[in-house]
Order: sequence, then structure tokens, then C-alpha cells
Amino acid sequence: MTNSVHDMGGMHGFGPIPREDNEPIFHEEWEGRVLGLMMTTGAHLKSNIDNTRSQSEMLPPATYLSLAYYERWFLRLERVCKQKGLVSERDLAALWAGHDIPETLEAEPIGPDDMRRIFAKGRSYTRQLDASPLFAVGDTVRAKNINPKGHTRLPRYARGKVGVVTAEHGGQIFPDTNATFSGEGPERLYTVRFRATDLWGSDANTKDTVCIDLWEPYLETIRADR
Amino acid sequence: MPHDSHDHTDPPSDLTLRVKALETALTRKGYVDPAAVDAVVDTFETKVGPRNGAAVVAKAWTDPDFKQRLLDDASAACAELGFSGQQGEQLKAVENTDDVHNIVVCTLCSCYPWPVLGLPPSWYKSHAYRSRAVIEPRAVLEEFGVSIPEDKEVRVWDSTAELRYLVLPERPDGTDDLSEDALAELVTRDSMIGTGVAKK
Repeated sequence: MTNSVHDMGGMHGFGPIPREDNEPIFHEEWEGRVLGLMMTTGAHLKSNIDNTRSQSEMLPPATYLSLAYYERWFLRLERVCKQKGLVSERDLAALWAGHDIPETLEAEPIGPDDMRRIFAKGRSYTRQLDASPLFAVGDTVRAKNINPKGHTRLPRYARGKVGVVTAEHGGQIFPDTNATFSGEGPERLYTVRFRATDLWGSDANTKDTVCIDLWEPYLETIRADR
Repeated sequence: MPHDSHDHTDPPSDLTLRVKALETALTRKGYVDPAAVDAVVDTFETKVGPRNGAAVVAKAWTDPDFKQRLLDDASAACAELGFSGQQGEQLKAVENTDDVHNIVVCTLCSCYPWPVLGLPPSWYKSHAYRSRAVIEPRAVLEEFGVSIPEDKEVRVWDSTAELRYLVLPERPDGTDDLSEDALAELVTRDSMIGTGVAKK
């Protein structure tokens, strides 16, 4: 979902930044388990990072804001595990009530060594593209004014704004299609630098800039007559 | 509480119990090996974290060739020191200079360079930081005790794609005699996000 509250760049009203001295890695043990469960079930859920983000964004805005970070992750994970049939409501209810459930071993889990290897190896998001770049470093471009109903990584605050391409990063998986499993649809990725005054108006510092990584379909050339 | 549907039970409000139930269910079905979950937790608690990034920065401060490699291809340069993996596949190092102060945010979620900085602090994921860093970076920096002169550019990096940013902070004056290890002690997590500067 695109125009929802997760896209919060430039919003007012959230107050001072809450900082904590000597913050632990995990505040509660269950938070680490949630992260671990997410990372170890990825292959069985046949998920991808864009769909995962998209799932979070589909929460009603009030819910999104009210949930703690790992709580949001957990509720998403539990929901997806049920949707994809990995676990059933009945099994969970039994466990909540303090009963055990039978071992059925429907799949082969990832072991600790493989998990470490997967983590250390990382994933590749880059893809070879045949098409030549539409834009070059130094080009002035406009971020399109688009409002898709689906997932996108073009923040609202940049839409319709003009910036300069400062880097080109080759072909990369396109989140807008990958999020719905309708294909990786790789597109070229650029870094575009916007002046703060162009984004926020004349009250912004004239020196300041914001750099955003944007895929080619998010960008358009500036027409010569404008 | 009675319910209309016999198939539905309200989940427990205790998240410890609820998470445990999901892990147990997934384990019984063969989708999860709890030892693999332990491995993830151990990785974040002991293997990745800002000390990795600090080692990278200290090396860049003392070794000009390494610094150049870091600025050219940060993933490859960090991998030289053994730091690579998920959420660090495409690292980019951005250098603070006399003219530019860099600061990193993810306005859309919580993207962060795990191999070099570990998991993000809560404030990095907070609605306040995500909303404000792009529109009023100087006010944000002031909250962190960092004052940037009006005529120096504050450059905000919004991590919207799979690139992950590491700020290369300025080396403090008067540290010429310090070893690489001693220099690494000066490199704070926040200085590598851009909301801080290296300790003096």
C-alpha cells in the first residue's frame, strides 16, 4: 500500500527522538526469537523482502502506529505462517492453552550452520539489464507524481520534485512488482539528490540536500519547454 | 470469553507465550530448527554490531588505499575485514568532510547496514526520526548534540532501495599518534549513522 502512514518522511508531530542509553540488542527475549523465526522461515514462506515490507504497510494506519516494532513483525509473521498453511489456528490455540501438538515434520528446516552461511552470504538484488540507461549522472530529473495502490519505494515527499542524478547502480529487483510476486522486473536504480529547498520550500537551508535511491520507472526527464 | 465460532480462540496478550507458541508449532511441523533461531540471535548479539563499523572507519583513517577502496566499493572493502552478509550486500560509504555532513535514515521502514552496525537502535526505527530526519535534519542533529554550521551542507541519505549507507566520520584532531585499535574506540555508532561525531 503506498499512501499510508509508513511513508512518514516529512511528517510533523511525532515529537522528540526517543533515545535510550546502553540499549540492549533485544529488549525482550521474544524479539530475538521473532527475528530468528523470520529469517529461518523465509524459504518455506516463499516470501521476499518487498512483500514483507508491503505486508506491514497494509496494516491500518492506526494499528501500524500503535504496535511496537517487533510486535508488528511478529503479527505479520504469524499471519503469513497461517495464510501459507505452515501452522493452523487450531495448533496455535492448543499451544496457547498449554497443550502440545504432535510432531508431523512436513518439511526440512534450515539448520544453524546453513543459517549462518545464508546470513554471511547475503542476497543479490542486482540484475543484468539489456536496455541502456535512460539517465546519466548529472541529468536533471523529476520524480514522477504517482500514487499507486500497490507497494512502491518512491516516498511521497519526493513525488513531483526535481533533482539531479548523482549515481547509477545498474539493474535491481523492482520492489513494486516483486512485492506482489508478479516478477522481479529489474529496473535501473539511481541515486538522485534533491535540494532541501525544492523538497520543503524556502524555509529549508539552501545548502542542504536529500539523496534518495530511485528506480528508473519513478523518474522522468524534464521537458525542454518547462 | 464465549465466542460465536468454536474455531476461534483469542490469542494470549502475553507476547512471550504467543511467540513461543508459533516457534513450537513451526518446529513440530518441521519448518523451524530452534538451533537456527539461536544462531540468528547469537549473530546479532555477538557477531555483528558497531564495533565492526568502527574497525572499518579506523582502518580508513590510517590507510589511504583502504579508504579509497571503501569509498569505491564499500561492500568489498568491508569484506576484506570479514564484514559482509545480509543487509550489507550493497554497502556505500559516505564521507564527512569540511563541506558536507552526512546523515542516514530510512523513512519507509528501518533499512540499516547489519554487517557493520548490527541491528538499529530503537530511535533509528522511531516514527520521530523517520519523519523528521529528512525535513529538519539540523533540528534532529541538535537533539543529538551535533551542531552543523549554516554554511555547511547537511546531506541526508534516505535508504529507499537495497543500498545500505555507512557514514565515514571525520577523524578527530590530535589523534595522529593513536593506533588503529585506539582510533576505533573513538568511533561511535551514531557517528557512523551521522547523528554523532567521533569522540575526541
